[in-house]
Amino acid sequence: MANTKEIKDRINSIKQTQKITNAMYLISSTKLQKARKDLEATEPYFFGMEAMVDRLRRHLPDIENPYFETFDELPEDEKVYAYLVITADKGLAGSYNHNVLKMTEEAMSKHKNTKLFVVGELGRQYFESKHIQIDEQFHYTAQNPSLHRARMISLRMLELFTKREIHSLNIVYTFMVNSMATENVNQVLLPLKASVPDVSLPMDVYQEEFMLEPSPDAVINAVVPNCTTGYIYSALVESFCSEQNARMQAMQAANKSANEILHDLSIQYNRVRQAMITQEITEVCAGAKAAQKD
Amino acid sequence: MAETYYFRIIASNGIFFEGKVQAVLFSTIDGERELMAHHEEMIIAVDVGTLRYQTPDNEWHKVIVGVGTAQFANNRCTVLVDTCELPENIDRARAQAALERAEEQMRQRKSIVEYKMSQASLARALTRLKETSRKNV
Repeated sequence: MANTKEIKDRINSIKQTQKITNAMYLISSTKLQKARKDLEATEPYFFGMEAMVDRLRRHLPDIENPYFETFDELPEDEKVYAYLVITADKGLAGSYNHNVLKMTEEAMSKHKNTKLFVVGELGRQYFESKHIQIDEQFHYTAQNPSLHRARMISLRMLELFTKREIHSLNIVYTFMVNSMATENVNQVLLPLKASVPDVSLPMDVYQEEFMLEPSPDAVINAVVPNCTTGYIYSALVESFCSEQNARMQAMQAANKSANEILHDLSIQYNRVRQAMITQEITEVCAGAKAAQKD
Repeated sequence: MAETYYFRIIASNGIFFEGKVQAVLFSTIDGERELMAHHEEMIIAVDVGTLRYQTPDNEWHKVIVGVGTAQFANNRCTVLVDTCELPENIDRARAQAALERAEEQMRQRKSIVEYKMSQASLARALTRLKETSRKNV
């Protein structure tokens, strides 16, 4: 059995760790509150944007626009698939980072040519350690997402897409379903898919016709960059919120297990101490008895 | 009284306005446009600039919006923009600093991306300054 000093050291070290996890818990819970407020404010914009793009797709006449080009004629070997991955800047967030990275690797393994754009320090280090090529001039933090950062990212992506350096853009991020559940999403941002009506409408139903001013092309060219920025911004906010949530839960669990270990260790410590006392008494008694006999 | 319709401005940081209006005026890529009730169904790109809307009490309200889109369908109009601010909430000093920064960047001709980026921030800063100076002077 370990001696009291060893147990005491162990207890102290766990207490120190618990202090850290507890502080991290408090920090992430205040950050989460802020992130959640941002998220609530962005959600109408996000859903409005999705609905608008859907509507635009449904009502779009057959036109040729670079943002709709699917490069079907290009052989698969020559297509470049870009992945925009949103991870956290640091770990200690349960399976948050792991899930995103796993999904990215799975998606990437399906294509021959891929390009990686990673937001967040942890993801960058992960891919570097695995010797997977990532874009080096792409340095963005996942902390406190801002519209400015989203603008910079989307401008870069759109430039690559219009220059034909990438032929498809996917975004991998974490979506917050509710405070308990998060979901990983892999969404194709570019090219936009042209209209494919899901349901066949009867002939006599009035289908609204949209006027696109000044021309469909001009509207698309103005709308697509905005939508991409909006989507990236919302994805950043969703991910940041999920990250804080994941960290909060992980730290809560860490606190709980630290308490359990402390409980067990203190019982063990008391037992060892008691055993020592008992032994000493026995020794003293034995000594006294031996002295009496003389 | 003029007919009204349902109008919403959604910015990336929340729903800015929601309610009945008589008319909405905003700038597009090729000029200003006014939308009245029962307008034809349409989707149109909104440019950086001022957006004005007339509430049923005949009052005109003015806000400053960033780029986005407006859609009109079933006598409802939704404007989706990245930013939306009241003229009195604009920080003049910040806008002035942004303007100078953007001008500086425009002067040093760099890549096309950087040019576009500074052009966009220049437009935003200019609109903000224009509206606040109107208020103050």
